[in-house]
Amino acid sequence: MSHASTLQVLGRDTPRQDGVAKVTGREKYASDMSLPGMLVARVLKSPHPHARVKSIDTRGVSDPQAVTLTPQEVPGIRFCPRLVSTPEATYKDWRVLTDKPRYVGEPVAAVAAESEEAAQRALEAMRVEYEPLAAVYDAFASMEEGAEPIHDVIELNDQALKVERNVACQMEAREGDPEEGFKAAAHVVERTYRTSRRYHAQLETKSVLVRPEPGGGVTIWSTTQTLHNTRILIHEIFGIPMGRIRVVKVPLGGSFGSSIQVNTVVPIAVALALKSRRPVKLSLTREEDLHDHCSYQMVFRLKLGADSDGKLVAGHLDAWLDIGGHQVQAYPLLGCVVGWWVSLYRLPHKSYVGKAVYTNKVPSCAFRGYGNPQITWAVETLMDELAEKAGVDPLDFRLMNYIGKGDLFWGQGPTVKSIIQSCGVEEILSRGSEMIDWYNRPKAGSQRGRYRRGVGMGRGYHTSSAGAPVPGTVVDFGGAMVKLNEDGTFDYVSAMMDHGGGTMDANAKIVAEELGVPIHKVNIVNADTGTTVYDVCTHASRGIYSGGGAALKVARQVKDKIRENAARLLDAYPHALKFRYDPERDQAVIYAEGVSGRELTFKELAYAMRHKNLGTVAAVDSYRQPSCPPHFTGYFVEVEVDTWTGRVRPLRVVAGADIGTVINPKLAAGQVHGGFAQGWSMVVNEDLPHDPATGDLLNRGFLADYKVPTTRDMPNLDDFTVFFTDTYEPTGPFGAKGIGEGALNPVAGAVANAVQNALGVRFYDLPITKDMILAAVGGKEGQA
Amino acid sequence: MKVTMTVNGRARTFDVEPNRLLLNLLREDLDLTGAKYGCGMGECGACTVLLDGEPVMACMTLAVDCEGATIETVEGLSSGEALHPIQEAFIEEGAVQCGFCTPGFIMATKALLGESPEPTEPEIREYLKGNICRCTGYVNIVKAVQRAAEALR
Ligand code: FES
Ligand code: FES
Repeated sequence: MSHASTLQVLGRDTPRQDGVAKVTGREKYASDMSLPGMLVARVLKSPHPHARVKSIDTRGVSDPQAVTLTPQEVPGIRFCPRLVSTPEATYKDWRVLTDKPRYVGEPVAAVAAESEEAAQRALEAMRVEYEPLAAVYDAFASMEEGAEPIHDVIELNDQALKVERNVACQMEAREGDPEEGFKAAAHVVERTYRTSRRYHAQLETKSVLVRPEPGGGVTIWSTTQTLHNTRILIHEIFGIPMGRIRVVKVPLGGSFGSSIQVNTVVPIAVALALKSRRPVKLSLTREEDLHDHCSYQMVFRLKLGADSDGKLVAGHLDAWLDIGGHQVQAYPLLGCVVGWWVSLYRLPHKSYVGKAVYTNKVPSCAFRGYGNPQITWAVETLMDELAEKAGVDPLDFRLMNYIGKGDLFWGQGPTVKSIIQSCGVEEILSRGSEMIDWYNRPKAGSQRGRYRRGVGMGRGYHTSSAGAPVPGTVVDFGGAMVKLNEDGTFDYVSAMMDHGGGTMDANAKIVAEELGVPIHKVNIVNADTGTTVYDVCTHASRGIYSGGGAALKVARQVKDKIRENAARLLDAYPHALKFRYDPERDQAVIYAEGVSGRELTFKELAYAMRHKNLGTVAAVDSYRQPSCPPHFTGYFVEVEVDTWTGRVRPLRVVAGADIGTVINPKLAAGQVHGGFAQGWSMVVNEDLPHDPATGDLLNRGFLADYKVPTTRDMPNLDDFTVFFTDTYEPTGPFGAKGIGEGALNPVAGAVANAVQNALGVRFYDLPITKDMILAAVGGKEGQA
Repeated sequence: MKVTMTVNGRARTFDVEPNRLLLNLLREDLDLTGAKYGCGMGECGACTVLLDGEPVMACMTLAVDCEGATIETVEGLSSGEALHPIQEAFIEEGAVQCGFCTPGFIMATKALLGESPEPTEPEIREYLKGNICRCTGYVNIVKAVQRAAEALR
């Protein structure tokens, strides 16, 4: 019997609470908001990839309503826009406006005026004199002796830090004796892998609205994954007391990590609002948004060795991260890259050297998976090759070596370690392989003719939060408030953000499950920094495991208080009271079994408490997760390669996921569908090259030249199967884990392995372009 | 320039610059922010509205070209609290994640089902190919369109 069978609310599809607002167009995103008397801002961005600003002349701005802002007018402090690590792991190299732009598009000045058009005209009337500097677009060239320094001095833990050879930060790790390990290995494969720079293409561009308040405070509505870190950063930059900074939750039009950090536009808009004493709105155009953020481009040199039985014995990884012009916490990413790698397969001996390198390109930030899709692609590709060398089926090879229940897990880096307590890897792989008929897939390279089919698989995981039994360098806790209203409904309040996956609904359902009421009895209340306790950020697929954990903790406290108060009113013992739901009255009931008349509905309880001045039943608390459970995923993908055009099509997808207890089945499957689309596109489409002649993006920021999948690029409904394993995470709320990032991480590996199976050719660069495929199959050969 | 059009059933007259986009007119002058700005260049479909029943990208449509036209936006689809079957279907099938693409998809779906009440899956995919959704991978959206088609039959 499934563990889920006793659940009342969880595991069933329920309409999301924000659904009506979203389908009727009434949902107001940050970019939809406006205020009376508001000014509209535009940002003056550097046209140079690397330069010194010699002067900014605003005298040409004739509009008397226009308010300009230059680097001299903003606080001169260095900061890091992403605040999820302790100070010794947080490198600071940003300013609100820069006088030394380090990428094309870096904000140099800004202006706010009565309309967007007026602001743009004022912007064009400003004169900036630049002294161009040499620019570098490649991480390896950047590290060379004599390369132009991109940053001289940055800050770490309040100390100035000199940057050497444009290396932003680095990390090394080692366990066992890798050199000896490799000597003992019967089979060794070493390869170099290169990923692309991808753009999040979240559908809503970054946007912010700031209202200056009497008394020097500000209210902020912005695209963000973290209300509280936004408040902390604005406090740090402007010195405004935190109680006077109110950051209000607004729905996100997609994010995928792009708003983990406080967006560059936020402090600019705050400075303009403070200066103009008017509300200021600042929304990026799509072209500007493309110049604002992208994923990390990574180069890996990966080496794995296995013994003659097919057991992995040793591994070494060199990772170079091209981070662009600034750090958005590249240091914890170096920890995650090694963490993702070593937590996939058991490696008794291993070593790692990771370097994050500045280049004069758009700064990289977290993008769904935070490096995990990149390294998992490399590992899953190499695992196939190594299996082949060892003469083992790739699927069996994985089963022999994967890290699962009882093993040590440190996906979120060397300071976030815990033991895995639930694992559905075997179920994913056995059910998935059956559905795709794995063992009868074509032999690699055996096909001729124009169209060739291939089946590949890849597996992986992501963490659910960055929890652990002991603190490390990663900050991760959240909180919630639940209160009983006078009609027997509950309000659930949390600073957690919903990116669209239904996180807040899931957590409300956890509250409902614990309190024994249907979901329509729990309202998700919009909130802000003043009405919520701290929550670090909605990232790391922590929404349900951490946010739901907090909701459950608080709901239990509320339940205890209901018991105590009801006991007093019913003249009964609190621990003897029972709960049931009465559908006729649509009320939960607390009662003393067998004693007639000794019962109260939640509504009656709240009413009586009000009239007797007993107070509100409510609880608010913080919650730190004790563990960091991986949610596991596996993909089996069948592709068809057109060897005349180089086009690859997905024919069939089978995806399995171990997310513990499933809370919203359709939305959870939706995470897998969306994850597949992004991972697919990572292999066949997405890259953001820079033009070395200008330093600008080759596509100049136009979405027309950055293709993401459309309806026609995905497999048919019948050819896309998603299944969930029957697993239960003992440390999760009602057994639940995350899903958001694991849904993506193994896709690229599975697709790349399918292409290899179709063609008999392996690629080590992403994306696998049509040209690469045509070159590999020798053009004409396919036509024979 | 004066331009008169019917927006969600109400006749309206505006005094607009010749370069005013329909999208900005709807969003800024009427606070109809259901139509979204996603790219401003016809690439994403987030701004899709119906012009005389045909789906158009409001970011590529000049307000002055709408003289005498009937414009429908997502806000006009349902009256009061009762949802249109397409809206119901999008919620029911989990086709709404962040929801930023949703108004565009819903309006495009309305046009599709007006033209072809029983579309096949390839027809649905072909018709909606100009609307980008970065969240859903389109599976639940295609299901929602099928469900809406059934409900409207
Ligand atoms: S905003 Fe109109 S198509 Fe993208
Ligand atoms: S639901 Fe987010 S873009 Fe479609």
